[in-house]
Amino acid sequence: MNPGVAITAVTVVSLATAIIGFYGLRISRTTGDFYVASRTVRPWWNASAIGGEYLSAASFLGVAGLILLSGTDALWFPVGYTAGYLMLLLFVAAPLRRSGAYTIPDFTEARLASRTVRRVTSLVVVMVGWLYIVPQLHGAALTIRISTGLPSWAGSVAVVVVVCLTVAAGGMRSITFVQAFQYWLKLTALAVPILFIVSVLAGNGTQPLGAADVNPAGTAPAGLYQNISLLVALLFGTLGLPHVLVRFYTNPDGHTARRTTLIVLGLLSVFYLFPTAYGLVARMFAPDLARSGQPDAMVLRLPGEFIGGTAGSLLSALVVAGAFAAFLSTTSGLVVSLAGVISQDVLDGSVRGFRWAAVVSAVVPLGFALMTDSLALAGSVGLVFAFTASTVCPVLLLGIWWRGLTDAGAIAGMVTGGVLCGGAMTAGSLALAGSGQTPAWLAQPAAWSVPLAFAVMVLVSRATAHRVPATMPRTMTRLHTPERPLATER
Amino acid sequence: MTRVRVTAPHASPGNPGRGGPGPLESREAAQDSEVGQVFVRSLIRSQLRLALVVAGGFLLILAAFPLILVAVPGLADTRIAGIPFDWLLLGLGIYPVIGLSAWLYVRTAARNEARYRDLAGEQ
Repeated sequence: MNPGVAITAVTVVSLATAIIGFYGLRISRTTGDFYVASRTVRPWWNASAIGGEYLSAASFLGVAGLILLSGTDALWFPVGYTAGYLMLLLFVAAPLRRSGAYTIPDFTEARLASRTVRRVTSLVVVMVGWLYIVPQLHGAALTIRISTGLPSWAGSVAVVVVVCLTVAAGGMRSITFVQAFQYWLKLTALAVPILFIVSVLAGNGTQPLGAADVNPAGTAPAGLYQNISLLVALLFGTLGLPHVLVRFYTNPDGHTARRTTLIVLGLLSVFYLFPTAYGLVARMFAPDLARSGQPDAMVLRLPGEFIGGTAGSLLSALVVAGAFAAFLSTTSGLVVSLAGVISQDVLDGSVRGFRWAAVVSAVVPLGFALMTDSLALAGSVGLVFAFTASTVCPVLLLGIWWRGLTDAGAIAGMVTGGVLCGGAMTAGSLALAGSGQTPAWLAQPAAWSVPLAFAVMVLVSRATAHRVPATMPRTMTRLHTPERPLATER
Repeated sequence: MTRVRVTAPHASPGNPGRGGPGPLESREAAQDSEVGQVFVRSLIRSQLRLALVVAGGFLLILAAFPLILVAVPGLADTRIAGIPFDWLLLGLGIYPVIGLSAWLYVRTAARNEARYRDLAGEQ
């Protein structure tokens, strides 16, 4: 790959992000603008922005790499990432918008009338956010190293600097425009090269080296338990992701929140066809890429394998640009939501506090990322989903749908889920370091940690039923009844 | 694009997480009566039932996809335009099911709310 072209691609994406961010700056002035773009972003804009924010390093690089390694077993990743949004639509979208809260801690505090619940939720949300930013920075490090030959840290640092500048400068209104643009950039960056590759392969009649069921790296097939546990994590993890939830507050009302989610599902479905196509083409025509030891880099290398010359480097540069857009958009979405939580809970909730909180939210995971090595991107993001599904998901689902939830139950459930899932993640990486492999039940803890978190939350709430807040009937009414002005419905 | 100024919902002790009475407050107050609460409870029940039915139906179809591949030997290796059938089913065929479930849900949920509004409005 031509380093000059790749560096240009990264620079152009970063500049475009910054310029759209600063353009948005001119129209965001109040604290409300900063937090939720004043809740008046149109469904198509908002849906593109949600798609742009959600499609992370794992989706752009990790899914295709994993499909190359594991074949049809890995197809459950894109299916789970998309179906997670279906669960979000079914159980969370409209009530959460109607709750009128800005962040997940706002929601739990309003629903359970407890400051302590708010603090525990804030802590969990910040942990989820930091855990999720680290793989984005690993992805950036990998991309910069493969495409330009620069040292790995340059990629992570570049992402953090661009994100801090745009978020601290423009808040969420400009982030909405930035991310809507980045969704379409990511889609183009995957679609155009693969269409070129397929037409080149069809044109010169290249015969497939292997069948689709070839197993280039000799990966053991995943068992039933692993597939089910992965699906539990992805289906129930999505609805607790802080950067996904904060987006719903930018809809004018509950009905629009549902319509937006419907559009998002369409956008995600179209997007995930392309990583699947990369995985299949690589498996059939370039299985060697799996043996290089960096399957996550496959998407970056594939265009150069089949298309030489200037066209090849331009297509590779397009993929690099798309990948960088993925790291930037997910990281900035997470930083916005974390900064919202930190500035309201630790600082005074002002615009200045938000800016400082944004810098803190981005720099801490940068430290983690620089100290640790990249695992498989799709796998490490899958673990974050398992953590979210074991902590935030139960408190949201029970808070929205069950009148009996109490503050004590919510805290006990979140702590149980967090300790079990966090413990499994730590024990799993220790086992990997010790014996070279992780047992399935530690590698994919969601199948047992999520039900246990739910069970503890329900049982402790039952035992402390006298703590159900007096405001509960009103809160439930607010969550579920349609807004009075019917402008957008019927 | 109309813009509404929103203030940060910093909690006051009596009214956690919300800043003062607004149009939302009157919406809840209107439902404070016993009859109002009956309507609200029935709306929540019907929305939850709808969500569970759609989710359950979707998960059944999702589980059926790999079962079909196991149950019909040779089906996974059948090729359509050079692409093996199992890849088409899992990589392409599931997405329309997701979209259809979502569309059905959004339509029915809006209908439930319209019914609630008719009931609550007549009160």
